[in-house]
Amino acid sequence: MEDLMTKAKRAKNQRSSKGQMRVIEAVMASLIVVSAVAFLYLFAATPSSQPQETSELEKIGHNVLHDIDEQRLLARFVYRSEWANLTSALVVSLPTNVYFNLTVYDVNGNPINHPLMQYGNQQVFDSSKAVASVSYIVPGYQTSYSPRILVLKLVRG
Amino acid sequence: MRATRGKKGQFIIIAALLLSIMIIAISTVIYGTVTYYRQERWEEYVTIVDSIKTASCNLLQVGLANYTQTLNQSVLRDYFNLWMRDVRKAYPGFGVDLSYSLASGIRSAYGVNINYNLGLNRTWNQQVSFSASDATVNIDLASVGLTGYNFSSHVFLKMNIRDAVWYSKESKRYVLIHISVDKEGPEAVVNLQKSNFGVKLTGATQAFSMKRYYSRTYSYFIYEIQISSIGALPSSVEVALQDTRGIKTVSYTTNIQQSPD
Repeated sequence: MEDLMTKAKRAKNQRSSKGQMRVIEAVMASLIVVSAVAFLYLFAATPSSQPQETSELEKIGHNVLHDIDEQRLLARFVYRSEWANLTSALVVSLPTNVYFNLTVYDVNGNPINHPLMQYGNQQVFDSSKAVASVSYIVPGYQTSYSPRILVLKLVRG
Repeated sequence: MRATRGKKGQFIIIAALLLSIMIIAISTVIYGTVTYYRQERWEEYVTIVDSIKTASCNLLQVGLANYTQTLNQSVLRDYFNLWMRDVRKAYPGFGVDLSYSLASGIRSAYGVNINYNLGLNRTWNQQVSFSASDATVNIDLASVGLTGYNFSSHVFLKMNIRDAVWYSKESKRYVLIHISVDKEGPEAVVNLQKSNFGVKLTGATQAFSMKRYYSRTYSYFIYEIQISSIGALPSSVEVALQDTRGIKTVSYTTNIQQSPD
């Protein structure tokens, strides 16, 4: 009788130790997976936000110039020297926290004489690390071919 | 019993190792894909292509406007030759290479047959008159290995004298002309002003008044031109139009009705 009870106790102990081993194995397995992911993460150079920010601003700048061009206003503003209207159109079209500086060049890269077309302090442009630059070309106006290159610099305030 | 348990533990460890290898492999591929997209600056290239495309379409308008005002048949070819050179200057370092082909021969569009010569056509002095230009532009961007991106662009302006009627009442004698104007699309042009038109009756320039509205009679947007104090039935009506883009066309008709009352 005693033997039987002892055998039953032994069997119970064996079952419980088997369960403990399963738990230890599972913990070890998960540790291996976690350490593998952590190891990979060490090498993963996630892109910094600065290029992303510049890319986003470039997209905004291009879209705004394209929209003004689609409305047939851009060529008129540039070739009729309506610089104040061009500045206003950009101020209205761009998000409020985006500052800009626009320069117009001829096709040889010589700046066209025009007043400062800027929204926001110069300090914002000097201090900002992410300055986006968009080039947009306008081939001519009405009947004459005379390309102008618009360089729009953008920063977030 | 112990041997079986040991084997099971090894199997789980091997499975975990396999799983971690799989995760590492998948993560590497995903990471590579994401960083490749960022490194290649696709946005910038798409922007350049889009910019050149829009500007080339605008150039087609400028060329057509020049042609309709100066009748210089080679103007579009000259402009595109300059444009090919200037685009390279405007985007240095991107390896931009532009080529073009101007439409030639008869093509059917917008309900009319257009006979292109060097990408240009003007069919004037008819009841339905039009001016048109058409070109196909090819863009290569050597810096990203983009070759053979091409698009066709066309510019069109059509004016139709729907009718011209001489009203011959004793007290009021006048001519009423109804005109519709379309551009590429086709799309009705609705923003023209009196200053965009010029009217001649029997070859003589006339002062006129103009109204514009959507006509139920024609089911179209109509420009109504009225010329007052016309004592006799005119032999011809000529309407010249220069739209906001500077493109010109001239319609002409001798089909002038006389109002019965």
